[in-house]
Amino acid sequence: MNLLTRRIFLKNSFLSSVIFLTCSGELFGAITPTQTLSTLHKDLFPSSSFIPDVSFINADIYLSKIFTHSRIKDEDKEFIHNGVRWLNEESVDRYKKVYTKLSSQKRQDLLNIIAKTRWGEAWLHNVMMYMMEAMLGDPIYGGNVGELGWKWLNHKAGEPRPTKAYV
Amino acid sequence: MYDICVVGSGAGASPIAYELSRAGYNVVVLEKGEYYTEKDFTKDEIAICRRDMYIPNLKDEQHVINDRDHNGKITRYEGEKSGWNFWNGSMVGGSSNLMSGYFHKMKPNDFRLKSEYGEISGANVVDWAISYEDLAPYYDKVEKVIGVSGEKLPYKKLEVNKAAKWFDSTCRELGYTPTQTPRAILSENALGRKACSYSNFCGSYPCATGAKGSARAALLQKCPAKIISNAFVYKLDSTKDKVTKAYYYDKDKKSHAIEAKIFVLAAQAIETSRLLLNSKNKYFKNGLANNNNQVGKNLIFSAGGVGQGRIRFESLDKEQRQELMQAGLFFNRSLKDWYDYEDKEKKYKGGTIDFLFEHSNIISRAVREFYDDGELIWGEKLQKKMLKNITTSRVLSFEVFNDWLPTDYCNVSIDDKIKDKYGVAVGAINLYSHPQDVKVGKYLAKKAKIVLEKMGAKEISVSISELPPPNLVAGGCRFGLNPKASVLDVNCKAHELDNLYVTDASFMPTGGSVPYTWTIYANSFRVADTILKTLKG
Repeated sequence: MNLLTRRIFLKNSFLSSVIFLTCSGELFGAITPTQTLSTLHKDLFPSSSFIPDVSFINADIYLSKIFTHSRIKDEDKEFIHNGVRWLNEESVDRYKKVYTKLSSQKRQDLLNIIAKTRWGEAWLHNVMMYMMEAMLGDPIYGGNVGELGWKWLNHKAGEPRPTKAYV
Repeated sequence: MYDICVVGSGAGASPIAYELSRAGYNVVVLEKGEYYTEKDFTKDEIAICRRDMYIPNLKDEQHVINDRDHNGKITRYEGEKSGWNFWNGSMVGGSSNLMSGYFHKMKPNDFRLKSEYGEISGANVVDWAISYEDLAPYYDKVEKVIGVSGEKLPYKKLEVNKAAKWFDSTCRELGYTPTQTPRAILSENALGRKACSYSNFCGSYPCATGAKGSARAALLQKCPAKIISNAFVYKLDSTKDKVTKAYYYDKDKKSHAIEAKIFVLAAQAIETSRLLLNSKNKYFKNGLANNNNQVGKNLIFSAGGVGQGRIRFESLDKEQRQELMQAGLFFNRSLKDWYDYEDKEKKYKGGTIDFLFEHSNIISRAVREFYDDGELIWGEKLQKKMLKNITTSRVLSFEVFNDWLPTDYCNVSIDDKIKDKYGVAVGAINLYSHPQDVKVGKYLAKKAKIVLEKMGAKEISVSISELPPPNLVAGGCRFGLNPKASVLDVNCKAHELDNLYVTDASFMPTGGSVPYTWTIYANSFRVADTILKTLKG
């Protein structure tokens, strides 16, 4: 991919672009980063007794907005994209299924496995970091709907609040 | 032609613009960043702290850092790839917009480091060319004009959290002397600016009320100097004894020239040296004011580091819990008991320890909870930890400030490979920390740790390292009486040029054991007086 094409790809479509997966040299299936990340977000930060409904985080919307930002390096976007591929390759390799088709327990097992690798730990950390931005950034960015993230942590936002998103 | 052209608009630049324009001189200020004012400022953590909106995009402008270890091995870090940079606030008013405003004066001994503490092997320690007494009237001027609040200061002290009283009593039990930290923040409406709103988001954020004594709010908005923003000065031209023009690129990379009788350079230490080194001509083949090869040398930072401990609800009663969690109020406490100390019968210059609450940035605080016993955690385990730590405890931090000793290995040069978006060679920061920097920092941190322990803080951690803070940079154009060993004379005028002054922290041969801003402001007011006298003949 030449530099210009790569930039346009990273800016516009890297979350929705199709990633083809192979197994033993055969085409196994196709996934998109959005599908995988959507499931992964719920695995990393689920609705639970501590926080009954995490739908307010709206990480998908937040990511689609923030990843157009020129201040997020292409390398960082590429790493998120590649991580989705590697997670699914690991999933296919071990369980012959893409990540989103695994049982909840198997997905957690897989996350525990990749968290012990250097790339996996760094990748999960990055994914979670963007989730925290979605959950605890100003709602103007599309996440933290109803300021529920701030309310959960008794956080008082600083004033004045932004009137437009910096994207 | 202008009377005075000032390059930069921060704490070193603005007193010159303020004093000279108010005295009736025609002053122009060239600032490479945007001109924001209070109405533009918000507390948007994503924009300001996650996307770094007030520093250049590193794709466009970067630094190269050559880090030297004690075996002489040098590791090169390119800013765009590594993210490591020393930008602090590209905007009118510079990094003073984003400071916390912890204001400390240097002490008399700081001006006489060599005389008081002797030679230190491997360090280029010298006495200052002026004394504390020379600067004292200008420290006083800063108190009044910039607005410094606190005990026995022109503006009454800011409101503090009750936990500061726990700190005071703990220190007294230990035999230490707690001091109230002066702040360059107005506690009341004054000077045509509004009082602090206790927004809980001060350091790293520009102030929306104008209470913080930024160079913009306190000076540039109060004077008739002409300010040209988005003006990146890339070269100064000169004859053999005078600067003639400053060339700058505007937002569209169009070049302009400014002529003036006097030029004042204050682009913050690294960029000031870079501009001089990039301004070569037939009279100054090594860069402007650099025929003695001193420009860029003896770069210093504030040595020291940080530490923290967590005060948990479990150790507090109901009232104390409420007091601890009260947002917005400051902590504002310092210890200076070890500004000098003796260890194994040797006299050391020590430093200052500031105590403050952990920054309120909620995203950063959440991210800090990702690890438990060194393992990345997620799911309910993470949620439980995050909820408990953030809602039922508060982290009290400390910052240690001690001298970063100047050495031959710590300096600014020009990188021979990387250019910025304007096609100008970027600055290379050659880093080296003298072993004594960390030794003193660790000594001070041990004392701070004792205070946290005695206060009942848990999970105490300390990080004293050789990594310099990017916002506390000085040196590179030290002033002095000997033209062979300094760039500037006692009045911060270049030895080799009749009309070039440098008034940011570049002039400092040693940094003292405090944050620099009060001293930078004071010295710039001092130089402004000198220039005024010169102009009046």
